[in-house]
Amino acid sequence: MTTRTAEQATAGLGAAGPPPGAARRAAATAWLQTYGVYAGVAVLLIFNTAFTDHFLSAENFRTQAVQVAPILIVALGMALAIGTEGIDLSVGSVMALSTSLIALYLGYGPWLALLVAIVGGIAVGVLNGSLVAFIGVQPIVATLALMVGAKGLALVLLPQLRDVRDEGMRSLGSGDLLGVPYPALIALALVLVVGFTVRRTTFGRQLLAIGDSRPAAELAGLPVRRVLICVYVCSGVLAATAGFLATARLGASDPTALGNLMELSAITAVVVGGTSLAGGRVRIAGTVAGAVLIQLLTATLIKHDLPPSWTQMAQAAVIVLAVYAARERGKR
Amino acid sequence: MKPHARRHTVRTAADASAAPGGRPGVPRRSRVLLALGLSASLVLAAGCAKSESDGSGSDSASDSADQGGQVAVEPSPGAKGCTIDSYGGEEIDLANATVGFSQSEKEANPFRIAETASIKAEAKKRGVKLLTANAQSQFSKQISDVQDLIAKGVDLLVIAPLNSDGWGPVLKSAAARKIPIVTVDRQINAEACKDYVSFIGSDFVAQGGHAADQMIKATGGKGEVAILLGSPGNNVTTERTKGFKDRIKEKAPELKVVFEQTGEFAREKGQQVTEQLIQSRPGVDGVYAENDEMGLGAVNALKGAGKKAGDVKIVTVDGTKNAVQGIVDKWIYGVVESNPRFGPLAFQTLETFTEGDEVGRSILIEDTIYTRDNAEDGLSRAY
Repeated sequence: MTTRTAEQATAGLGAAGPPPGAARRAAATAWLQTYGVYAGVAVLLIFNTAFTDHFLSAENFRTQAVQVAPILIVALGMALAIGTEGIDLSVGSVMALSTSLIALYLGYGPWLALLVAIVGGIAVGVLNGSLVAFIGVQPIVATLALMVGAKGLALVLLPQLRDVRDEGMRSLGSGDLLGVPYPALIALALVLVVGFTVRRTTFGRQLLAIGDSRPAAELAGLPVRRVLICVYVCSGVLAATAGFLATARLGASDPTALGNLMELSAITAVVVGGTSLAGGRVRIAGTVAGAVLIQLLTATLIKHDLPPSWTQMAQAAVIVLAVYAARERGKR
Repeated sequence: MKPHARRHTVRTAADASAAPGGRPGVPRRSRVLLALGLSASLVLAAGCAKSESDGSGSDSASDSADQGGQVAVEPSPGAKGCTIDSYGGEEIDLANATVGFSQSEKEANPFRIAETASIKAEAKKRGVKLLTANAQSQFSKQISDVQDLIAKGVDLLVIAPLNSDGWGPVLKSAAARKIPIVTVDRQINAEACKDYVSFIGSDFVAQGGHAADQMIKATGGKGEVAILLGSPGNNVTTERTKGFKDRIKEKAPELKVVFEQTGEFAREKGQQVTEQLIQSRPGVDGVYAENDEMGLGAVNALKGAGKKAGDVKIVTVDGTKNAVQGIVDKWIYGVVESNPRFGPLAFQTLETFTEGDEVGRSILIEDTIYTRDNAEDGLSRAY
């Protein structure tokens, strides 16, 4: 009975639209797209509570929070780029560049090293943004070029792993405030900043307007190019910050491995979180949940000692599910 | 889909109205130049870089290049050797020869750095002319590298192969000029003493076995151990795993392997995986890391989880300075060395061969084992 009425209601809303079955499916996928990621996180939490030894411990949650922090920070920048109907493939390489620069400048102390790393992120962001905004290169191509270039530069600057001996730097990666690790705190702060920017600032509105329709935004007289450059600069700065935190935690600069495949994790977190690749919308809370989902998925498979290749396949399954949900609903 | 042509005209219209938010009056080209300038300044700024003062000297692999050359395991009796008569070609004087060395991977890890440094040092010591090339982990580049070396007229080749397969065309062009080839650290799928002279390398299965011996000693042959695997699909990974597990099964059936996850030979991944491991199995007795970097990552993770040195026994393979220092600091129980210093043995083999004497077709090297007893003395030898 209830399903029938629900069906009628949705069919009624659809006016001249699709048959009732399709409408119900559309409603289901719409739900999946909006809340699926939270449901996924909940399912994994329940599963692990029931079947994973020592899962419900503060120490375990600290570990997951520290591990997810770099993915989350990078995903925030990715969400902004995707919101403008763009993408930033260079984030992993920016992390590598960041770690190389930190190794080279750590002699001046961690804060100056961070500053230099951020300047590196800004430089890559400006290049990405200029290619996209002025020259009209597709974002996927422009940032692919920087992905290759920044990684190359990182390895020229520092061809091999180098240990970090600076105690201040190391404690940033391993210390905590009231039990919450620094990397997690920094990630949380950045989530709030980016969330506020998207929702409450002119820049955020302009960004979404460009993602919705760049020609319309241009006609409306929005500073399209400046906003696009700012978006890629934000992404670069966030990736550089993530590189800094990852370096602090590892206690070493390793440009050969740091940031590898990070762009894929970040895109997954954003897309699974319900942000459409078609642009015009950024879901920060969903992105956070998406990053947490990936982290929990990896942790679950490792803790249960399943073959590593399963992790990749499980991630692929989650992406397919998310993209499927996005397809049904399409661009809003 | 947005029509491109239309978008373009719209954009120029917006240009004409001099983008209100931008910097009016700055032409587009100079903004691009600004961007390029910014990145160029970054590169230049690297000039005034100041890294941390190097206390332990762990970055300098070359200073130990002269030490710790490899020692071959005595060939088992009856193993067939190879002479220049059976291979074909003529005797040459190594001192006047040109040797080509093709390295497979970028010298970005201690093993490759020490390997190349050792070959170069030995060539210099003997006064042999050496031409080198690096394939940067691209097999197609390595093929063309070796063909270039042949074209440049090298008399002898030392190859550190990236792949085992796919050497047919190169071997053919080398055979046409009767250039003797020695492969180091990885074997190629071809016939020794016909397609190439001999292979010099470590026995990765034996390394896994030595690691198992250390782990059995450390744990008393009882308890639970975890394995941090290398990169999947790599023969080093499969062989170091096989050697370890076989020895455990044979000698200490009460020692259980309860966890096997890949750390991809990288410190960060080793750390992340060990963090998960130590949360879900706090009682694990030992961790076998298939290279030093993952082992050092495991040390990081154990420190982070509040464990004390020696609580969890760590055994690793490679023998880098950092890992041997880890033994001195009591965080690592034992390190099985995988000796990268191929220089002396490779040139020795080439010399013996070109003088017309017999050399082994497969020369396995003896790997040292670092433990608490010899770690401090071993530090100068570790790479």
